[in-house]
Amino acid sequence: MPNVLVSQTLALSTPLLFAAMGGYASERSGVVNIGLEGLMLTAACAAAVAAPHYGPYAAVAIALAVTVLLSLLHWLATQVYRIDHVISGMAVNLLAAGGTNFVASLANAASSDVPHLPVVGYEGVALGLPFVVFLYVRATRGGLRLVATGADPDKARLAGLVPERVRLAALIATGLFAGLGGTMLVAYTEGFTNDMVAGRGYIALAALVLGGWRPLPTLVACLAFGLMSALRIQYAGGTVLGVSPPSEFWAALPYLATVVALAGLLGRGRVPAGLGKS
Amino acid sequence: MSSAVSLQGITVRFGAVTALDGVDLEVERGTLHAVVGENGAGKTTLMRVLYGAQRPTEGTVLVEGEARRFHGSKDAIAAGVGMVSQHYAIIPELTALQNLMLGAEGGAAPSRAAARVRAQDLADRMGFAFEWDRPAQELGSAGAQKLEILKLLWREARIMILDEPTAMLSPADGDALFGSLRVLVDAGATVILVTHRLPEVIDHCSRVTVLRAGRRVADMAVADTNARELASLIVGGGDMPEGATLGLGVDGLARESVRAGAAVLSVAGLTVRDARGHEALKNASLTVRPGEVVGIAGVDGNGQRELFQAIVGAVRPTEGKVELEGKDVTFAPPAERLRLGLRLIPEDRHQEGVIEGWSLEENSALGLQRSFAEGGRIDESGRHHWAQRVADRFSTRHGGLGLPMASLSGGNQQRFVAARALEYGPRLLLAFSPTRGLDLKGTADVYDAIRARARDGMAALVVSFDLDELLAHCDRIVVLNHGRLTEPAARERDAIGREMVGA
Amino acid sequence: MRWRILALVAGAVLILLGALFISHVGPVTALSALLKGSLGTAPGLTESLRQTTPLLIAGVAVFLALRAGLFNIGAEGQLIVGALACTLVALRLPGVVGMVLGTLAAVVAGALWAWPAGAIKAYRGGHEVITTIMLNNVAVLLTGYLVAGPVRAPGGDTTTASIASRLPNLLKSGGFSVSLALPVAILAAVALAYWLRRTVTGYELRAAGANPTAALYAGVDPRRTAVRAMLASGAIAGFAGAVQVLAYEGRFYSGFSPGYGFDALGVALLAGESALALIPAAFLFGALAKGALSLQIEGVPKGITTVVLALLILIAAALRSRGVRKVA
Repeated sequence: MPNVLVSQTLALSTPLLFAAMGGYASERSGVVNIGLEGLMLTAACAAAVAAPHYGPYAAVAIALAVTVLLSLLHWLATQVYRIDHVISGMAVNLLAAGGTNFVASLANAASSDVPHLPVVGYEGVALGLPFVVFLYVRATRGGLRLVATGADPDKARLAGLVPERVRLAALIATGLFAGLGGTMLVAYTEGFTNDMVAGRGYIALAALVLGGWRPLPTLVACLAFGLMSALRIQYAGGTVLGVSPPSEFWAALPYLATVVALAGLLGRGRVPAGLGKS
Repeated sequence: MSSAVSLQGITVRFGAVTALDGVDLEVERGTLHAVVGENGAGKTTLMRVLYGAQRPTEGTVLVEGEARRFHGSKDAIAAGVGMVSQHYAIIPELTALQNLMLGAEGGAAPSRAAARVRAQDLADRMGFAFEWDRPAQELGSAGAQKLEILKLLWREARIMILDEPTAMLSPADGDALFGSLRVLVDAGATVILVTHRLPEVIDHCSRVTVLRAGRRVADMAVADTNARELASLIVGGGDMPEGATLGLGVDGLARESVRAGAAVLSVAGLTVRDARGHEALKNASLTVRPGEVVGIAGVDGNGQRELFQAIVGAVRPTEGKVELEGKDVTFAPPAERLRLGLRLIPEDRHQEGVIEGWSLEENSALGLQRSFAEGGRIDESGRHHWAQRVADRFSTRHGGLGLPMASLSGGNQQRFVAARALEYGPRLLLAFSPTRGLDLKGTADVYDAIRARARDGMAALVVSFDLDELLAHCDRIVVLNHGRLTEPAARERDAIGREMVGA
Repeated sequence: MRWRILALVAGAVLILLGALFISHVGPVTALSALLKGSLGTAPGLTESLRQTTPLLIAGVAVFLALRAGLFNIGAEGQLIVGALACTLVALRLPGVVGMVLGTLAAVVAGALWAWPAGAIKAYRGGHEVITTIMLNNVAVLLTGYLVAGPVRAPGGDTTTASIASRLPNLLKSGGFSVSLALPVAILAAVALAYWLRRTVTGYELRAAGANPTAALYAGVDPRRTAVRAMLASGAIAGFAGAVQVLAYEGRFYSGFSPGYGFDALGVALLAGESALALIPAAFLFGALAKGALSLQIEGVPKGITTVVLALLILIAAALRSRGVRKVA
């Protein structure tokens, strides 16, 4: 039934889209960011914990604020302390994992009376975001400075830019976008569990790489991953070509597909030249 | 107040190194003022202070009579100061127009059409031509520099600093540059020229300031001095090191006869593609005999890097052959070529020559690591003695062999790298801008060592963008132009200059 | 810039105190619970050392890859495929032979699991962070499937049968025991330290990791080095899985690793530039893992130890990133 497939694909792609756009903002400015997973997790936990007390909209706002703070930690580590970007990203993930476990245990956020956050609008925003980002980069001063900083921070500095400031704005955007991805996950489920992000932060990063660090191809990549997950739900337990693969096969498909895609040269050679450079 | 720029008592220290010591500089409005000195004298550092890219440890900066404290280039630009740095701050991935606008876009959502009109107007005024929407990667050195000048005009800079502007240009383009500078000065701009080439100073500038070892040693009108005097001020009494090039066309050493015999390096019909798939080197052929020092002249970006990399073994040619000591090494890995006696002084020591976080001792073994090992184990004391030899060869100043390479200044790092290449049985030396960052004495020492080794039969291939340096030190000079290797009719400046631009 | 580091440390301490405050547990209570739980009792210390062993071996694996410039986040997957391979072989072949061949199988399995990431990074430029994480997930799914069906032992649980032979204990007295596996792990770290500093191949690996272009010009093939480093790293991680099976678990089951491979990355990052520092780093992780359970009893969720470790990694990395002063 194609309709169901389409709507499922959309639903499954959108958290990826948010995270991938968050990754785009960061990496286009030259900051490697593997902490998207941790950002989403933080947002999900904050939203789930805040919702019973403050209502759904306030919960989203709080979640975004907390996520932006965590993203700023990555900025602080990489731009002020000059820590290796990958190490800082892993530390962010660890902090998020430990912190959310801590907060969720104390707040008993795994209960089932967490109200559903507004789902309407998430998908629209997620689909429109890559286009907005695309226009931003092409037509505005901020967009040009973003790309220039990521291409060569030293030369950008000579042109009068302050790379640290450009990256500050970029990482705030990362926190906001990835945060939306996290709150969206909670909006679909009833409560917070420790592994609810399930690697989406990394898949989003893979989508970004496959999309060559450009917003519109990344959109396509996210939809492709979403489609794979939708197919899995459709065909789980069913037969394909007369064989009945175990559910684990379908679950593994997106991961294997990522590896194969990266092996196939997709996305290579378009890395922002100044990625990882202080 | 006719002083456009007034720098007073500028001192800059990096750790234990003093780059500038109480330097004063007064530049009059509407003039072309030269700042000269050898490498390491502090010229670039002084200009970076004026451009806000370097905070002075002590001293005052006055621009058009007002004291200024710059927190970054943005502030300097706002004060009307612009700089064209030696290695061009053009970002290859952006278009020419984007590069022009970056940092001075004129609004949060600038109109590209309006920008293009303004850009074209400025270009017309200077007699330049650009394809605004092509990636800046496609501009050659001369084009990049013209774009940099336009950047200054775009930001309405009244004070323009040009750091070694002719370093990467052919002689013809260099002359054209001074034509452009004349136009700017006549329109009221103040231009500060940083250079180590004295003819440029004598021919075009009205005033000159001489720096030596971080201090100002002279400041006078060009009319009141001459090249000889300036040269001796730069070097500081005593004799000019032999072969010193200040653009004065000093004749090189008497050339020893080149040995007859089988070529050490033989390159035949070599074609190499660059990263984007274009043929950067086309059907190049070259032979270097024992004892010969061959120089490769040419404007940057005409295939020098690809030739270098093909000989090292870092890239595979699509056609042609490379033979080292008679053996075909076209597809051999670098390790094998090193074993045959290939030694390197790479262009960018930071990226290609040293590992900054490692100690001097560990760096000394790069390329030779298997020679200081017995059955897999490293011979630590042997390596230590070797490191000592390398450090002493060109009097590299350091704080201890166990300290990281990053603790050395650029000039000292270069000395170390050059010594490493020349000390351990070199058969073929492949050098790319071997004297980058070295002062006159260092330059002379390195070339003396190359000459001494050549007498023992070593062959040398030197790539440089400094034509005077090649003329002073090489037996033969070949020219790379758009990937084609040619040998000019005569071994003299004009003939070579013509080959460089294909005239 | 010493004050910057101090600010970071102060921030970390504040976060921890805040966390303790929220859980209504005093810092002294928390610290003593932690110490007593991990080191204060014989069974506690036994468990801390038991946790240390796989962390140390996997830490060695990740550290080696790090020195080659590669982030092997896939140690987790490599460890569990190694563990399963070892179990399956050791179930079929008895005694010492079974253990030796099982270990071999684990090493091969781990290397194979790491190979795609190494090859893709070296020859296609695909970042190994992504590929190794993807392969981790596949490893969990694959071993989960196998242990739920094809290789399941009779009975209800998702586990294989148990192996009869085990690695003996080094020491056992009262409530305290330490397996032979621990000195094996320590030996691995020492061997790596020696190999990296004192051998030519170790030198070349470090060069490729520190500056691939300079390494290329020094006669090292960065691509081949990268692939070999990943293979070795995967092999050692697989070895960690084998040791875990042969010394402690005796079987493979769903959920075999509580994240040893991930923690190993933290161990390697904490150790910095010195392979010998892996030993105290792994012990710190192991003790904290045990201590976390005691903290949980006091009312502090165990996530706090993960936070502590993350902060330690940041502080250690910040200390290392301070610039070098020019002396000449």
